[in-house]
Amino acid sequence: MIPKKGMIKVSDVWERIIHWWLAATCLLLIVTGLGMMFHSFNFLAAPVGGLKNLKLIHNFTGLLFIPALFFAVLTWWKEAGIFKFPEDLEWVKVAGGYLWHVDNPPETGRYNPGQKAFFLAVAGFGGLMVISGLIMWFPLSLPRILVAWMYPLHAMGLLVIFPFFFIHLYLGTIGVPGSAPAIFTGYVTRSWCEKQCPKWLKEKEKEGTLEVFGEEKKAAHGGHH
Amino acid sequence: MSEKIKLYDATKCTACRGCQLACKQWNQLPAKQTYNSGSYQNPPDLQSNTWMLIRFQEVAAGNGVKWLYRKEACMHCTHAGCVKACPSGALHHTEYGTVSMDKEKCIGCKECIYACPFNVPRYDAKTDKISKCDMCFSRLDNGLEPACVKACPTAALKFGDKEDMIKVAEKRVKALGGDAAVYGPGFVGGTHMIYVLPEKAGVYTDLPVSPRVPFSVIAWKDLFKPLGLLAASGVLAGAFLHYIIHGPKDTSGGNAHHGGGE
Repeated sequence: MIPKKGMIKVSDVWERIIHWWLAATCLLLIVTGLGMMFHSFNFLAAPVGGLKNLKLIHNFTGLLFIPALFFAVLTWWKEAGIFKFPEDLEWVKVAGGYLWHVDNPPETGRYNPGQKAFFLAVAGFGGLMVISGLIMWFPLSLPRILVAWMYPLHAMGLLVIFPFFFIHLYLGTIGVPGSAPAIFTGYVTRSWCEKQCPKWLKEKEKEGTLEVFGEEKKAAHGGHH
Repeated sequence: MSEKIKLYDATKCTACRGCQLACKQWNQLPAKQTYNSGSYQNPPDLQSNTWMLIRFQEVAAGNGVKWLYRKEACMHCTHAGCVKACPSGALHHTEYGTVSMDKEKCIGCKECIYACPFNVPRYDAKTDKISKCDMCFSRLDNGLEPACVKACPTAALKFGDKEDMIKVAEKRVKALGGDAAVYGPGFVGGTHMIYVLPEKAGVYTDLPVSPRVPFSVIAWKDLFKPLGLLAASGVLAGAFLHYIIHGPKDTSGGNAHHGGGE
C-alpha cells in the first residue's frame, strides 16, 4: 500500500477521513439494524448483552452517522451529485463497460455515473434514514400515521442502501483492482487513473495541479506566475 | 390446548368496574394519580398500569341520554399487528390464541404501538417497557379464567372455548335483535376478546368499525423486508457471478490507449 514514485494523488486526507467515518458508522448501523430487523439475526445482539443494548448502539451510532453524512454531502455533492448530459447518458447506455464488453467506454471525470448514483442514493436515503430513525427513536408526541410510516421507510432505506454499498465494496476492491489505495493512502497508479477517471487526469495535468508521488508539486503558483 | 375467547356482553354490563379492579389486583398494578375528566371513566384512558378500562359514553336516547359501556383491553388478534411488528419476540401468541408479553424481552422500541389497530399497547418511560393485557396468562396456564371474568357479578364476562363463546354471542345477538351485533370474530383473523354490542360499532368512541393491521405494517414486513433480503442476496450473488464471468477490470498499464500524457 505504500505509494510508489509516479503514483497519483486522487483523494485528500479530509476525504479519506470522511469516507471512513461514514463507512464505519454505516456498517455498524447495518449490522445492528439487521439484528433488530430479522428475528433470525437476533443473535447479533448476543455479544453486546441483548437487543436493548443493540438498540442503544444503533441509535447512538446514528447520531455519529449524521455529521458524517453531512460532511460527505458537503464534500462530494459538486463532483458526485450532478449528472452531466449527454456524456453520462452515453456511459449509462453501455453500463460503463462493466457488464459486457465495450471497446471504448465513454471517458469519465472524477466520478462515473454509477458512482454518482451511489452518492445520490446514500445522500438521499441516508437523509431519509436519519429523519425516520429520529422519529422512531422519539415517536410519542408525533401524529400516529406519520410515525407508523417511518418503519417501512426505514426498511426501504436498507433495501436501497445495502445493494449500493455492496457493489461499491466489490468494485472498490476485487472488482477493480488498484482502487482501494485511493481511499487508504490516497495514491493510485497512473494507469488506474487513465482507466477510471481519464478526463479528471487530463484536466489536472492541464491545470498543472496534479500531485504525483515523489515529484515536486507542480502547484498552481508554478502555473500562474 | 384449544383456542379460548373472552366474551364481553355490553348489554349485561353495569359498569361496576369490578373487572378493572380485579385486573389491577391480579397483575399488581397500583393506581396512578388521576383526574376528573367529567365522566365516571377513570382513569380517562388505558395506561401502562391500567390494562383494561370500562369506557363510559353518553348518547342521546329519546328525550334523554343513556349510557353505553365498553370494556377496553387488548383484543388478542389472530393476525396481531403488534406480534408482527415486535423485533424481539417479546409479544407472542400463546397456545390459547391470546397475545402474551415477555417483559424481559421488550426493548422499549414502541413499534407495537403503531401496529395495533385498537391502540392498546402503552409505554412506560420509567421501565422503558411496553405493557398490555395478556388475558391473565398466568391464570389461563393454570386452568383458571382471567381475573376480570372471575370478578364479573353480572356474567357480562364469559370465558371459554372459541367455538362455544362465538355461539353464545350469536345466540345473544339474535335474542337482542335491532342493531345488536357480535364484534371481533370478523376481522384480523378473529379476536380472542369478542363483544356483544347493542349498538353499531360506529356508535362507540375509539372503536374501529373495521379494524385491520395497518397498511404501514404490511408494507414494512411483507414488502420491504423480503424485498430487502432479495436485493441483498441478489447483489451478493450478482457480484460473485460478475467476478467469475465478466472478471475484474484491468487497470494495469498493459493496453492503455492514452499514453502518459506528459
